Amino acid sequence: MNTKINKSFYGYIFIAPFFIGFLLIGLAPILYTFYLSLTKWDGFSDPVYVGAANYTRLIHDSFFFQTIGSTLIIWIMSIVPQILLALGLALILNERFIRGKHFFRAVFYFPHIVTPVTLGVLFSLMFDWQTGSINKVLMNIGLVNDPVNWFNNPWWSRIIVAGVICWQYFGFNLIIFIAGLQGISKEVYEAAEVDGATKPIIIRRIILPLLRPVMLFTFITSVIGGLQLFDAPLMLGDGPGNSTRTMIMYLYETAFKNFDYSYGSAVAYGIFVVVMFFTAITTLATRTKE
Amino acid sequence: MKRKSWLPVSLALILILTLLSACGGNNNGNNASPSSSASDSASPSASASEPASPSSSASASESAAPSALSGKLVIWTFFDQVKDMAAKFMEKNPGVQVEVKMFPGDQYQTKLLTALQSGKDLPDIFDLERGYIGKFIDSKFLADLSAMGGEDLVKDYVPYVQGLGRSSDGKLKAISDHSSPGGFWYLKETAKKYLGTDDATEIGAMVSDWDKLIETGKKVYDQSGGKVHLIENAGDLFDIMAYNTEPWVKDGALNIDPKWKDTYAVQQKIRENNVDAKLEFMSAGWGTALNSGTVVLTSMPAWAGFMIDNKDDKAVGKFGVASTPLGFYTGGTYRGIYDKSPNKELAYEFIKYIASSEWQTYNLGKTGNMPGLATVYQDNMDSFKSSFFGDQNILKPYYDTVTKLPALSADKYGEEILSLWRKTAGQGVANKTDYDKVVASFKKEVKNAFPELKVD
Repeated sequence: MNTKINKSFYGYIFIAPFFIGFLLIGLAPILYTFYLSLTKWDGFSDPVYVGAANYTRLIHDSFFFQTIGSTLIIWIMSIVPQILLALGLALILNERFIRGKHFFRAVFYFPHIVTPVTLGVLFSLMFDWQTGSINKVLMNIGLVNDPVNWFNNPWWSRIIVAGVICWQYFGFNLIIFIAGLQGISKEVYEAAEVDGATKPIIIRRIILPLLRPVMLFTFITSVIGGLQLFDAPLMLGDGPGNSTRTMIMYLYETAFKNFDYSYGSAVAYGIFVVVMFFTAITTLATRTKE
Repeated sequence: MKRKSWLPVSLALILILTLLSACGGNNNGNNASPSSSASDSASPSASASEPASPSSSASASESAAPSALSGKLVIWTFFDQVKDMAAKFMEKNPGVQVEVKMFPGDQYQTKLLTALQSGKDLPDIFDLERGYIGKFIDSKFLADLSAMGGEDLVKDYVPYVQGLGRSSDGKLKAISDHSSPGGFWYLKETAKKYLGTDDATEIGAMVSDWDKLIETGKKVYDQSGGKVHLIENAGDLFDIMAYNTEPWVKDGALNIDPKWKDTYAVQQKIRENNVDAKLEFMSAGWGTALNSGTVVLTSMPAWAGFMIDNKDDKAVGKFGVASTPLGFYTGGTYRGIYDKSPNKELAYEFIKYIASSEWQTYNLGKTGNMPGLATVYQDNMDSFKSSFFGDQNILKPYYDTVTKLPALSADKYGEEILSLWRKTAGQGVANKTDYDKVVASFKKEVKNAFPELKVD
């Protein structure tokens, strides 16, 4: 076999469209954002070069660090139940003798089709403390006497935001898990059954270990997605004491509400570093185990 | 097998079709903008033929023969009623074509700014809302209306309305066709039941200061067994006090008017005594309370009549409006000319039209939006009746309100800082936080959002 690759000039022409597109649409804005982060620019006058001033400001910005914390808290509160729920349902729906499992798979996937903004509005109406349906139901069944002011409490606010995200994505993870479960060879199950393994043992010893690559996939995509949380929480507001303001919401408020595009760009790079950091941690953590 | 496979296939087909149709929709959208840009680039050619028209428009303004106007104008707005404005203008000037592009929602300002930066496909006239006019007013994008003779248009204006359209050096940059006085709107039936009268003057007297308002509020709450509240939200005081206090920024430093401290104390008292229903301005519950009467007095601006449920004319004659302890206004839509527009003269004619008593009188009758011209108030003072308010003469109290408001120009900080105050103080009222703590966290927020300001 000839190992030498024929590096014909024409090959470059074929791959050029992608690279030109990437340079124009991908790389150029990224570099321009970096340039902006070194300036002072409000969008009305011309940008003025200020060096690293925006980054110095960012390092001392306690609000930015608060948003990192809030984002992480909301992410953890949504990812843990999300994965447990998805995994549990996947195990159940993967059983051969369950009736209507296709129906349930579809139904659980539905929330993922709804746009996050709609979900945000929906939940903010449901949890409105005076006119929302949740309080009405709670009061009617006698669980509470006075309406609960959900969005006046930082933890309730975070739980609701996390709940929206959990509800939206567990169906998606469910599908991934089911795909993973179906990828496990039948022979392994059969061998285990022949050896007299009970269901819990099969789950613990066979399914979970073999599902690990799928779990990692879900985990890593949710780290990146979860840290970029934006639209649903935006509809629910900053929360008391900015407790539900995520990093991207902060970027949005800085750049597009206060028209501080230059500092907004610096925040964007700050977020990039944070996301890189956590993605690296996740990757490292998974690598050492393998 | 065959019978089973039709479902996924048809589902996939539907999905693909919807995807394609969505793409098609997008393509249409994309196609639409080049074509409109083509027509935009066509409009300079229209303006090229216009050298005749500026002179004719100049002569038109003198000889009052506006039918001589011709050309094409593009207006950007977030406000639906501008279409009506454009239709009326075209009716009067058949030679002019006005294209109104509507961008509803709060993304409008970002869209506008981005377009202004790029300098392409821009409107001749664009609308600015009270909430962000301060950010745009000193920019290079707005034409100087003073130089075009705009001072003449606003000489009979309500002082605060024309003041807001001025840049920091006092030049007129934008003009509004309306004023936005606020008042307590009430259902006459509810007022009679809980306040014993539906007369606006008597009700105004019952709530002429905050102490009286709180006393009245307590009575309403007790009398209704806790079901009815006097006002919607303690937070309404932010709107009422907003322009009855000193500006938030003075000489590059944050300035907290001492009145805010008293206001905060009043707000806490209102909350403690169940005077307010704790409903957010313009929220669903707020609207329900306004229409059902679970809140007796709703403070809102004159332009918010669309919040009244008037299906089958059921609200006709049912409402009254009383004055608030202090006069206030909320919002306002301003219109400026893009400085590099090739159609500036024609655009100015449009601005002139909306600043005229002709349009403002018509608009008052049609939408109930209060005029910007003090003279239109005066001319209609005794004759104007609005359908919601039956026989009540609403121009009089509104006129008293708007003429008392000081003429201040907008700065780029005011509204953003006000919204930070609204956020921190609002939470403070809900959590019964100490005023000093509220101020401390407010200062922190301001310092963070605007590091260039001096915050002690």
